[in-house]
Amino acid sequence: MMELTALQQDALVELLNIGFGRAAASLSQLTGHRVLLDVPQVTLHAVDEVGEALERLVHGHVASVHQIFTGPVAGDALLILDESGAAILKELLTNEPALPLSIDASAREVITEVGNILLNACLGTFGNLLKVQVSFSVPHLSIENVGAILESLMVAHQGIRYALVVHAGFRLRDTQVTGYLMIVLSVASLDRLIHAVEDWEQAQR
Amino acid sequence: MSSEAPPTSPLATAVGRWFEQLGDRGVFVTDEALVVRHWNHWLAVQTGRTAAQMVGQPLFDLLPTFVERGIDSYYRDALGGAVRILSERFHRNLVPITRNFHGAGMTEMAQTARIEPLVDGEKIVGTITVIEDVTERVIAERELRNQIAASEQARQLAEDSSRLKDEFLATLSHEIRTPLNAVIGWTRILRTQPSIRSRARALEIIERNALSQLRLIEDLLDMARIISGKLRLKIDVVSMSEIAQAAVDVNTPAAAAKEITIDTAFEDDLPALNGDAERLQQVIWNLLSNAVKFTEAGGRIWLEVKRDGPNLRVSVTDTGQGIAPDFLPFVFDRFRQADASASRSHGGLGLGLALVRQIVELHGGAVGVESAGLKKGTSVWITLPALKISGQPHVPPFVPAEPVTLKGVQILIVDDENDGRELMVAMLQDYGATVRAVESADAALGILKGDAFTPDVLVSDVGMPGTDGFALVREIRTLPSERVRRLPAIAVTAYANPEDRVRALVAGYQSHIPKPVDANVLAMAIARLVAGSQPPADRTA
Repeated sequence: MMELTALQQDALVELLNIGFGRAAASLSQLTGHRVLLDVPQVTLHAVDEVGEALERLVHGHVASVHQIFTGPVAGDALLILDESGAAILKELLTNEPALPLSIDASAREVITEVGNILLNACLGTFGNLLKVQVSFSVPHLSIENVGAILESLMVAHQGIRYALVVHAGFRLRDTQVTGYLMIVLSVASLDRLIHAVEDWEQAQR
Repeated sequence: MSSEAPPTSPLATAVGRWFEQLGDRGVFVTDEALVVRHWNHWLAVQTGRTAAQMVGQPLFDLLPTFVERGIDSYYRDALGGAVRILSERFHRNLVPITRNFHGAGMTEMAQTARIEPLVDGEKIVGTITVIEDVTERVIAERELRNQIAASEQARQLAEDSSRLKDEFLATLSHEIRTPLNAVIGWTRILRTQPSIRSRARALEIIERNALSQLRLIEDLLDMARIISGKLRLKIDVVSMSEIAQAAVDVNTPAAAAKEITIDTAFEDDLPALNGDAERLQQVIWNLLSNAVKFTEAGGRIWLEVKRDGPNLRVSVTDTGQGIAPDFLPFVFDRFRQADASASRSHGGLGLGLALVRQIVELHGGAVGVESAGLKKGTSVWITLPALKISGQPHVPPFVPAEPVTLKGVQILIVDDENDGRELMVAMLQDYGATVRAVESADAALGILKGDAFTPDVLVSDVGMPGTDGFALVREIRTLPSERVRRLPAIAVTAYANPEDRVRALVAGYQSHIPKPVDANVLAMAIARLVAGSQPPADRTA
């Protein structure tokens, strides 16, 4: 069982903050509202246990934006919001009342684009760090329970996998909405990422 | 990666052609230098720019707005492997296209788009952009949102009006109870202390309270008639200044009691107008009594009647407590009072001004109110269309109060309610009549079929348990004795609407008198009926 050291955790938070900063700038520009994004916490879980961890954070049906990434580092990247969080985020970003997500295609599209921006920023940051080319699939939004999301993971059935769960706090117009970023990696990919993070951390000193 | 499949394989060519001819969305492809390589049929049709014009040209030369809008960075990201989706809500469109949508005029097409890298093995060889027209969807969502907002608003309105009705009912029961307290209280005192000195004063209080309750109920009935569109105006040529003066005369005692002076200013040679004198007097009476109610002791009220273009304008201005600006728009709404709390300091149902507006509007006029705010006084005005040719104002015929007598007249009274029955017996005996009273239709029929008492007139309540007043009169009209069959009958009932009157007349009554009964009105009606029917001598025939 792998665990992150405090140092590795700090370095990951710092790196993700760079990516989130870029994403927040894009969202601010798109919406005309000041959007801030925080990474307060990063945890590592074995995929078998991540469902339990997620169910403590989000309840019932959740909206997830799922992108598969391939290349030297491969896996699944997801933004997970509970349904009310997704509705509030959409209302805040677009300034119009949300209909239920199931009938509001525009709201689903907005959430998909937000996830797309965030996931691109984070994985782009990792790609730059690792100096590798990462290719993405088209983001896909689904509304289902956590169990069904885990079933849909590309790497779900390939050996031992780990999931980085990142708390993503959106702050805009005096309101906070928390989403969760989940990056699922094979042991090899994770190992490579953590080494690169450590090297980067050394280089910062 | 299938290195054996050359880019010119029949399958790749076929797929390429499929995209080229795709008719429901736009697809264009660039190479890694962002030079356009494919521009499909849909895009050519929608933009009016053909593949021949586009292919081979740098993308940002063809679409310079991409650079202005920062979309160029998405293409650079795509060349770095990133996929980018563009939602309609954030971007409106990717390639601006203006067209005549469903013939509803020129509009901009709403689009969603995605920009993806094209990958050959590990190498990115270009980008592909897919554009979808979502105009219909955006319109449908907007309509849905509007409908939801409209139904939410309707729900809110219904809740508001239901709350107003609840408040109104609470006020109503309070207003009905208040005069009853005085009536019951003073009646008990009179009964238990028959020798009290202030007997006259007690009776005056009882009468005043009973009248105020009657007024309340009349207001309610008027409002009910107006709401159901059943208020009929008795239109005549009338003089507004006479009507206004009469209303002032009625209100002067109440004003004097509070040391409020009412000043009047009537312009000379005012034109007459078409209207219902009684209703218009009710309007002015309401305006004045409101002014008196809301003006503190020692205040002043001005009543002015003047020409205003083709109209007559009546305004009532006071130095009273004024109206808060946020309540001004609701002053003429029914059931509305600025202060609906239980501790409010002024009585009334909040119907007065609502009646004023309804009556004035029925006359083709308008109402308005001005107030500089709380404690700054109020001015309420009405305008009514004046007659162009000055007509002769209608002067209500003066009816001399003839002393009525019912001496020698035999009257049968039917009323299941003891108090009402006794009251009528006492009233009519006062006029000299011989009266028999029974509590049911069956008892009345028993008397009519016999010879012991042969009434000249039947006075019957309508709403009774068992055989009601309608059934009674219908049966009387079929009895064998012609004397009884032709017996004049008066319906006395608390059902005071015009339809109730018609119903009573159709059933076979000659006259209809609403409760509470005015003794003189009843006596006159009986006298008229008796005079109009066979002479009393026939009775014995």
